[in-house]
Amino acid sequence: MQNVNYTVNHFVHAYKQAPWRIQRQWIGAFLLGIFGLTLAAMLYLDITSQASVAGRNIQDMTAQITSIQLANSDLQNRLAEITSISAMKERALALGYQPIKEGQMEYVIVPGYAAPKPSILTASIVLKPAAPSQPAQYTQSLFEWLDERLRTPPSTSMIGITQ
Amino acid sequence: MRQEYAWRSLVLAGFLGFIGISIILQIVRIQNSTEANTFRQLTADYANVTETFYPDRGEIYDRNGHLLAGNKTVYELSVDLKNAPDKNAIALAVGVQLGLNPDDLYNRMANPPEGIQNLVLADNVDSDRAAALQQLKTAADAKAKESGTTSSLDGLGFWAHPQRSYPEGSLASNVLGFVNLTRRGYFGIEEKYNDLLAGNKVNIVVPTDPSKAGDIPRIPNGTTLVLTINRDLQAATEQILDESLTKYGAQNGTIVIMDPQTGEILALAASPRMNLNQNENYGDIFRNAAEYDRAISMPYEPGSVIKILTTAAALDSGTVVPSSTYLDTGELLIGGATIRNWDNQAWGVQDITGCLQHSLNICMAVLSDKMGAQTYYGYMNRFGLGRLTGIDLAGEAAGRLKIPGDSDWYPVDLATNAFGQGVSVTPIQLMTAASAIANKGRMVTPRVLLAMLRDGRRYNSSTQYAGSPIKAETAQTLNQILAVSLEKEASSALVPGYRIAGKTGTAQVPTEFGYDSTATNASFIGWGPLDDPKFLIYVWLEKPSSSIWGSETAAPVFAEAARQTILLLNIPPDDIRNQIAKP
Repeated sequence: MQNVNYTVNHFVHAYKQAPWRIQRQWIGAFLLGIFGLTLAAMLYLDITSQASVAGRNIQDMTAQITSIQLANSDLQNRLAEITSISAMKERALALGYQPIKEGQMEYVIVPGYAAPKPSILTASIVLKPAAPSQPAQYTQSLFEWLDERLRTPPSTSMIGITQ
Repeated sequence: MRQEYAWRSLVLAGFLGFIGISIILQIVRIQNSTEANTFRQLTADYANVTETFYPDRGEIYDRNGHLLAGNKTVYELSVDLKNAPDKNAIALAVGVQLGLNPDDLYNRMANPPEGIQNLVLADNVDSDRAAALQQLKTAADAKAKESGTTSSLDGLGFWAHPQRSYPEGSLASNVLGFVNLTRRGYFGIEEKYNDLLAGNKVNIVVPTDPSKAGDIPRIPNGTTLVLTINRDLQAATEQILDESLTKYGAQNGTIVIMDPQTGEILALAASPRMNLNQNENYGDIFRNAAEYDRAISMPYEPGSVIKILTTAAALDSGTVVPSSTYLDTGELLIGGATIRNWDNQAWGVQDITGCLQHSLNICMAVLSDKMGAQTYYGYMNRFGLGRLTGIDLAGEAAGRLKIPGDSDWYPVDLATNAFGQGVSVTPIQLMTAASAIANKGRMVTPRVLLAMLRDGRRYNSSTQYAGSPIKAETAQTLNQILAVSLEKEASSALVPGYRIAGKTGTAQVPTEFGYDSTATNASFIGWGPLDDPKFLIYVWLEKPSSSIWGSETAAPVFAEAARQTILLLNIPPDDIRNQIAKP
């Protein structure tokens, strides 16, 4: 009987974990949890900051585009003022030119000649694509992605169409 | 010892845990407090801003690509009242640069309207003045940075935005119209095509959180328009008109040049004109809207120029042939009224060429009487009298053609209408009608729009025909008659080297008490070169004082306008063109 008790105690003693080992396991698990949370927080911060920087850049570029467009219009307007008919006439007269009079014009027949069309009437296909669409992955935070996944209903079968 | 460390660790862990739990509890408490909804509402309110984006107004070019209406940058000057420590300095700087009273500016800043934080001090400030102010602000900021104080011009803000600009000033002002500060177009092209030019404003919800800043859809600018107007010819025409008004002492005038084969208006000059960049002066220059563009908005009794339509109707209906004659006795009694010629003389036996050459009223009365009211007014209706031509300019008037059945129509009107009395038309209506004679019987709708440019694509405006009131043979016959009548008369409208068809008109001005014999409307309508008309010109001088006769005032103006048209459109003389046609 004494031998049996001894055997059981020995077995329990052999396989029971030491208190300090259990404590370490708990601490390890806790630290692992902390590490996981920290990792998630870092990812969240990283993505959020990148999205913020990208957003700021977009806002800056939008402002730049507006500013450049205004400057372009302004320059075009100034060019038109400089080349307005009154300004050109004044400059031409200052350079010694005179308006042509009846009888001063000589007409020369040039077979096959076709006067060039003004550039404004030439169709200029300017490709103006819309601003590139940013996929959600570039702007969505981890939590937003998770939220979206949870809120999105599972895919359903096709809806029947009746006529 | 180990027990002591354990105790300390427990206390520290407990303390930190308490702080953590307290923070969490506080978060939960705030989220469930009575103010939580207010906080959520505030967050939602500031999360997005609805911004209205106005597309740039489309530009307007002449047919050769010269900018007639564009956009320039102007600035709105505002002050952020909460962040403006030195309102005196701002008032002084802005006042001196913009020529405003600094005291008024300061008072406005000191006593702003309730709830206003951002006060607009001035708008539409040109870029030069705004740049000078910006330099002042930069200098003040730099000085403040050096001394470690706040800048005296802190709070002063500049917002750039486009404003309509007309680089040519008053050129073609009657055609273009203008855009006022509310971005709406008035008169001419600016009003007619306001929706196209203005584009569509777009309201966009923009998140204030930069991490949520996304696509802002591209807002297409307003449509750019290319006009049929030739800038050089327009300037020359306006110069001719201005000189004519002075030379002949006319109160006002109009010269319109059109391509009779396509309806394209090449130049439209009218008086008065206005510098479109100073459109706030509109009320000082024009008494009413009809005066803005006399060519399309002001009907008048045209007098003898309408005889070309009466003759066309008589020839086309077979009432007469070119060789038909009548005896002009100097008087004709119709509907209880006596019709007389312009000189009160009898001209004896006259054929159709003589009728037009001498502009005989009695002849026209005879023709309309022979045709009968139904035929005559049927033709006038087909020529478009009393109806809008459909020209693409705002404010067109229809004029008035009385017809049998109208309460104010009398039998004598059939006779007087035939030589241009008792009927009111606009110059553009008569040009449209005359285009049928110049263009082998086909009448064109006048137009000012040549093409539209949008998103890099060009959309051309095409020639619209407004019917064929007369046969091609009639048009050809009448062209010859009109050319011969001008040549026989040795008209001052003739242009050497080019065969021209045309007709003068002198009409007494109707008043409340009958016709004023001292004041006339002098007109001329003509086109050429006769075999392939490239221009149709209408001249109208109101109450010329040097001579009342159209043949002595409007006709030479037509000749000058035709000469300039020939030069600027490079139209070779008839003999050279014939060489080109028959090499």
